[in-house]
Amino acid sequence: MRRHNLRTVIAFEVRRTLNKRRFWLATLIVPVVMIAVFGLIQASSQSTQNSLAAQKKVTFSFAYSDASGYVSAPLIAKLGGVNVTSPAKGIALVRSGRIDAYFEFPKDLLTQTVQVFAKDVGVFNNGRYSTIATDILQSSADQAIHSPTLATLARGSIKVSVTTYSGGSPTPGIGGLIPPLIFLIIFYVIILLLGNQMLSSTLEEKENRVTEMILTTVDSTTLILGKVLSLFTIGLVQILIFLAPLGVGYAFMRTSLNLPNLHLSTLVFNPVRITIGALLLLAGFSLFSVTLVAIGAIVPTAKEAGSFFGGMMALIFVPFYAVSLILSHPNSLISHVFTFFPYSAPVTGMLRNAFGSLSVAASITVIIELFIFAAIVLRIAVQLFRYGSIEYSRKVNVKAALGLSRSPR
Amino acid sequence: MCKYREVPLDVASSEEDLVVHIEHFAMSFAARTVIEDLSFDIRRGETFGFLGSNGSGKTTTIRALLGIYRATSGTLLVEGKPFDPASGIRLGYLPEERGLYKKEPVIDVMVYFGRLKGLNHDDAKKWSMAFLERVELEAQAQIRLDKLSSGQQQKVQLGVTIMNNPTLLILDEPTKGFDPINRRLLMDIIEDQRRAGATVMMVTHQMDEVERLCDRVVLLKDGRAEAYGTISAIQDLYGGTTIKIRYSGDIPDSDLYTIAIRERNHAELKAASGASDAQVLKYLVDAGVAVSEFSTGRPSLDEIFLKVYGNESNKAGSA
Repeated sequence: MRRHNLRTVIAFEVRRTLNKRRFWLATLIVPVVMIAVFGLIQASSQSTQNSLAAQKKVTFSFAYSDASGYVSAPLIAKLGGVNVTSPAKGIALVRSGRIDAYFEFPKDLLTQTVQVFAKDVGVFNNGRYSTIATDILQSSADQAIHSPTLATLARGSIKVSVTTYSGGSPTPGIGGLIPPLIFLIIFYVIILLLGNQMLSSTLEEKENRVTEMILTTVDSTTLILGKVLSLFTIGLVQILIFLAPLGVGYAFMRTSLNLPNLHLSTLVFNPVRITIGALLLLAGFSLFSVTLVAIGAIVPTAKEAGSFFGGMMALIFVPFYAVSLILSHPNSLISHVFTFFPYSAPVTGMLRNAFGSLSVAASITVIIELFIFAAIVLRIAVQLFRYGSIEYSRKVNVKAALGLSRSPR
Repeated sequence: MCKYREVPLDVASSEEDLVVHIEHFAMSFAARTVIEDLSFDIRRGETFGFLGSNGSGKTTTIRALLGIYRATSGTLLVEGKPFDPASGIRLGYLPEERGLYKKEPVIDVMVYFGRLKGLNHDDAKKWSMAFLERVELEAQAQIRLDKLSSGQQQKVQLGVTIMNNPTLLILDEPTKGFDPINRRLLMDIIEDQRRAGATVMMVTHQMDEVERLCDRVVLLKDGRAEAYGTISAIQDLYGGTTIKIRYSGDIPDSDLYTIAIRERNHAELKAASGASDAQVLKYLVDAGVAVSEFSTGRPSLDEIFLKVYGNESNKAGSA
């Protein structure tokens, strides 16, 4: 019966959340914005490339003077450029409208600026002059080098692969860092998006005066557990929705979005780190969700619940204030405190796990500790809901609800 | 010992017959004592009236019985054990504080509660639609609850209460907020449940309903049971049977009655405890009194309520 009711509560809570327009608005706004931004970047990148290509193709009359001696005269001649003896003459030709542009290449190209004087063709189209000036110098340098390879190296287009070793075995590097860090990102996204829903998950029973009906129909532990599990399910749905545009972006628009050229095959999935990351995520989510549900059980309205939300959010961001110390000195006191204090443990643990500074033994300790704390807080949340939610619009006497003093009210 | 004016039960109840057993129940909130010492039983299949003025502790007692409050002391049992929703007892509870999930469609809420009460989805839906048809709300099945009138919402809540044929039905002021037509409908539904074998515990201030529906009642006052028993026994306790006669001759004194009013050709007699109307009439006729009219009457529960609680019922709030 308990299992049947647990399934019923989860199904009801998930279905009614997924049926809410507000949920989809809040959930879809993120991927929609992401898709819109990706689209804009893609379009803008394409248009910039087109524009650069078009600017390179555009023909206009120009003159130049070269004090550096690096500009290739044959190249300039091919482009139709005319050499002038002095800058003043070049500028005068532009001003009189006899030519479109004059390029003044200075003596020292490393310290001095190439000056361009040209006919105005609009703010955006004026960019073609600097494009041509740069192109003339790059092509002149390529010709002087006489080697496409050396020319490429000179431009810094170099691919480097680093393999490091620890204890004689190759270390995974950034490819091994990313997979376990994904759990940390998921944790933040879920808590930030579902935190308010966790807080208000039991408020509806109070605000709608359903408490008595529900408490005499279903066991309060089953109800609270069902609500927590439904939140987890909803969180998974949201994660999938958020990951979808990222996946699409990575698969189809990686170059134009300037995403790191990190092929999935370069990621290292260390089963131990992945398992620890997943368990820390699960344990951390459990603790935060039951804590927020417990807080929701003692406050009378959603408005009052909101004021607790900021405090809980601060707890998950606190480890980031000491992130460099935690990562560089994993054995420092602050690192130990953040690793084992229940409400900073999930973030600190997931960070250290990703960077490989959390031992398996410490990981197991943290995970067990988090699950035990979550179970204790769940018990408290159930008691607070069972004996506190009947207070409806009044604040709950926590001591009385937990049976530590006389009956509530 | 519990101090109340108890009317002896006509049939001794075995433990198996008791659906609700409350013994020496006391309840305090901080420094305020709401229930001092309350004991009563509800027998299987009966309709039981739980009466009292506002703030006398009726709702508190029900909440403690159902485990929503922790009792300060005493024993509160349903079917022989403390109530637990997971125990499998088929309970239907209509609380005084009404409310359901207002943002959800009517049918979804009904099916949800039906499932929690052990029905499968199809049965819960079928039952819900049949009920909605009976209360003329079938067209509103897919509408959100908050779009219904308060009376319609109460009907839905009643439907949720009686789903899965409860063996114990606890109704806290069931007709509150109902118009006379819906009140009639509600009473018919309750009567149906009773006929189907449900034990009904009812809190109400409608004394005509109590007289019509209840087998026994308890009157709660100052945290204790002021009176407890069948309605007729309580009527006997608070005034007994009044016999009105039109006569000629002399009315003799007797242990069977006391003479309340004696006028020319008209008198009102109070029957002594245990004396029947027929015994009094036979005695008068045998004594040579020429009785031309003979009628009997009892004080109504309304009158008894006023007598017991006086101005107390005007107190605000309900505990």
